[in-house]
Amino acid sequence: MHVELNSEDLAFREEVRTFFEENKIKDGEDYFSWRESWFKKAREKGGWDVPKWPAKFGGPGWSPTQHYIWEQETARANLPFDLPFGLGMLAPILMNYGSEEQQERFLPDIRDRKVNWCQGYSEPGAGSDLANLKTKAVLSEDGTYYTVNGSKIWTTLAHMADWIFCLTRTDDSGIKQQGITFLLFPMKQEGIEVKPIITLGGSHTVNTVHFTDVKVPVENRIGEEGKGWTYAKGLLEHERTGLAGLSKSLVELEQLKDKARTIQRGNGNLMDEASYRSKVGELEIDLLATEFTELRSLASAASGGEPGPESSILKLKGTEIKQRIQKLTVEASGIYASAWGDKGAGPSFAKGGTAGYLNSRYFTIYGGASEVQKDIVAKKVLGLTTGKSK
Amino acid sequence: MNFELSEEQKMIQQSVERFVQENYDLTNRVKISSEDPGYSQEYWTAMAELGWLGLAFSEEEGGFGGNQIDTLVLMEQFGKGLVLEPFLANIVLGGGAIKRGGSPAIKESILPNLIEGNLQVTLAYAEEQSRFDIEDVATAAREDGSNFIINGKKSMVLNAESADKIVVVTRTSGSQVDEDGISLFLVDATSKGIERENFPTVDGLRASEITFTDVEVPSGNLIGEKDKGFAILQAVVNDAILALSAEAVGAMEVLYKDTVEYTQQREQFDHPLSDFQVLQHRMVDMFMEYEQCKSLLLRATMETVQDPILAQRTVHALKHLIGKSGIFVGESAVQLHGGMGVTEELRIGHFFKRLLVIDSQFGNSDFHLDKFTSL
Ligand SMILES: Cc1cc2nc3c(=O)[nH]c(=O)nc-3n(C[C@H](O)[C@H](O)[C@H](O)COP(=O)(O)OP(=O)(O)OC[C@H]3O[C@@H](n4cnc5c(N)ncnc54)[C@H](O)[C@@H]3O)c2cc1C
Repeated sequence: MHVELNSEDLAFREEVRTFFEENKIKDGEDYFSWRESWFKKAREKGGWDVPKWPAKFGGPGWSPTQHYIWEQETARANLPFDLPFGLGMLAPILMNYGSEEQQERFLPDIRDRKVNWCQGYSEPGAGSDLANLKTKAVLSEDGTYYTVNGSKIWTTLAHMADWIFCLTRTDDSGIKQQGITFLLFPMKQEGIEVKPIITLGGSHTVNTVHFTDVKVPVENRIGEEGKGWTYAKGLLEHERTGLAGLSKSLVELEQLKDKARTIQRGNGNLMDEASYRSKVGELEIDLLATEFTELRSLASAASGGEPGPESSILKLKGTEIKQRIQKLTVEASGIYASAWGDKGAGPSFAKGGTAGYLNSRYFTIYGGASEVQKDIVAKKVLGLTTGKSK
Repeated sequence: MNFELSEEQKMIQQSVERFVQENYDLTNRVKISSEDPGYSQEYWTAMAELGWLGLAFSEEEGGFGGNQIDTLVLMEQFGKGLVLEPFLANIVLGGGAIKRGGSPAIKESILPNLIEGNLQVTLAYAEEQSRFDIEDVATAAREDGSNFIINGKKSMVLNAESADKIVVVTRTSGSQVDEDGISLFLVDATSKGIERENFPTVDGLRASEITFTDVEVPSGNLIGEKDKGFAILQAVVNDAILALSAEAVGAMEVLYKDTVEYTQQREQFDHPLSDFQVLQHRMVDMFMEYEQCKSLLLRATMETVQDPILAQRTVHALKHLIGKSGIFVGESAVQLHGGMGVTEELRIGHFFKRLLVIDSQFGNSDFHLDKFTSL
């Protein structure tokens, strides 16, 4: 057992840092052209534009340690914005279950960040119990297309998306997990209506989406009809490990301390106040432990094993940590925690800080709510069963 | 020991409850909050006519001779609808300061008008550097003949946008953090040299930053004695803590009850959510926090009525618990509602925001724990 990086890893870290440094956005540079050229150069490095993709599909084929280094460095650097839906969620499904033709058709545009995707899973009646979904897809008599009717809810960025990957029901005769079919289709077409849902932080990211007789050619079905649940489930696991966001939290924790230090208290600052400091301390201790929990999970994955049981607590711990950072930011804002918008006095971080905290409440709801995650740990890891949940 | 309200108080409780039920559904609240002045003038007038604004003033002042218990009765019901009318700013803060320290002339000219809803008064005490320390006052008042000249900045002043008068907390002597040397003045909100920057707050209310530049105020407008304003300020802040805590208790009641109801209706995995034991226990915790807050609220209020000085420690205890429990109840309600909880569409999010703001006003949970343990 050792924690230090070997010389190869150190060299890799240096290379990553240099790359970020050399390709920083310059003063006055247009953001979107910078973004485009950043991804192009990252691609020329050998798949750095799609770090998580396997080498077979053009990814860099890094070791777990290299991934870990990348995560750490990206948390610190200012990278161009990226969305997870196509790149991180749909792409692995296409790679595992899509036909070669579908891979050729969709992966390049995902990689080039040309097409924005959204995830159409949840429905009003299907949240934690996702398999309860009812959006109907009916195959035409000639077997060439599906007609989709129904409603999705919480669809993040549906209003900006070009395409949706969508779970639909093609058969309701068996158990819920059967008869679910995975379809891909364009968002900008007749029969699709997107309506905003405003969240507590006052922002519009999620939507309801209604489908009325939307036609989807069978070529847009992933894998077999009725097997969508299996495909989606693998992806959900993927989504969860990505939600812990520990490297980012480590950086944000340091930023939090810096913010608290700007709040003067007597001859010192807020970090000198015992109650505040011990909360920051407890948070950091949790973060130190969770970071190694993640590393242990990476290591077991690297040695070819399944991610160990420790991986199941990453989402739980990681999201809780993110929420606590937001909460402590609000507390540091003092009387300015209640200011809304950008007017008034007070520390600059107070503006938007409370909105950030409010929005952080959904970290423990989406991608598998905490209570349900704990159910999974209880069943899968501890081997416990209950008489109640089916 | 008697926890029973008087017949009159019960009647008022019922009429406020009815008023809130009839007028404060979420849609209406959002509408009122988004339009100027951020509350309903019609409701404010109605509250004055119903006598609510005068409950906690003596009969000589034009009121009904009640006390903090009457305010508790009102505020707890207000909390169930997140009432927007500026009761706290006018009656507890502005009116509270004048009641305690105003000269007979000031009382006579202000209080009856305030109670009738014809005049608005707020209190400007916090400053950018002060955080929760009410004795940290840099805004200076310099004596100049028969006037005082005020210079400085006040932060997060509630309802200042609508105020006709402002009670401003100033420093007339001593160092910036001395309790001695604080003086309160009543100034016209439109005085030369006063600038207000108004903005909405997280909970849909309004606050302002106020700059005072060479603002002249006659020495007759002193509220209380010169240099001795701290005791008044402390008493007013304590009353505000009691009032806000009562509001918070009302809000927590809505949150836990809405959550119980929602989880009984919403089904997942072929069960109402309320079948899941982990959620049941969380709701029991919410309920317990609510009840504990209510107990401490009654305790602190009754002790204050008996002896406000002796009650100080309990008031700190109360604000600590209200802050901590309020946020726990709010976060839990959101969590148990799932995605619906983080939207503006259900009222629980709005109640959660109000509880969050209440924690940040007049000292947060940590601040009061520290005060409590050091007394
Ligand atoms: C901001 C945001 C973005 C989202 N983006 C997307 C998206 O892009 N695409 C998409 O498809 N979905 C998305 N979602 C939906 C998200 O995945 C769901 O909100 C989540 O699955 C929870 O479902 P629900 O909201 O219906 O809550 P519910 O399932 O109704 O849960 C409510 C509460 O009950 C608890 N609960 C449920 N079942 C049990 C049980 N068996 N035992 C104990 N407790 C239980 C939950 O933990 C929760 O606390 C998003 C959600 C949010 C909030």
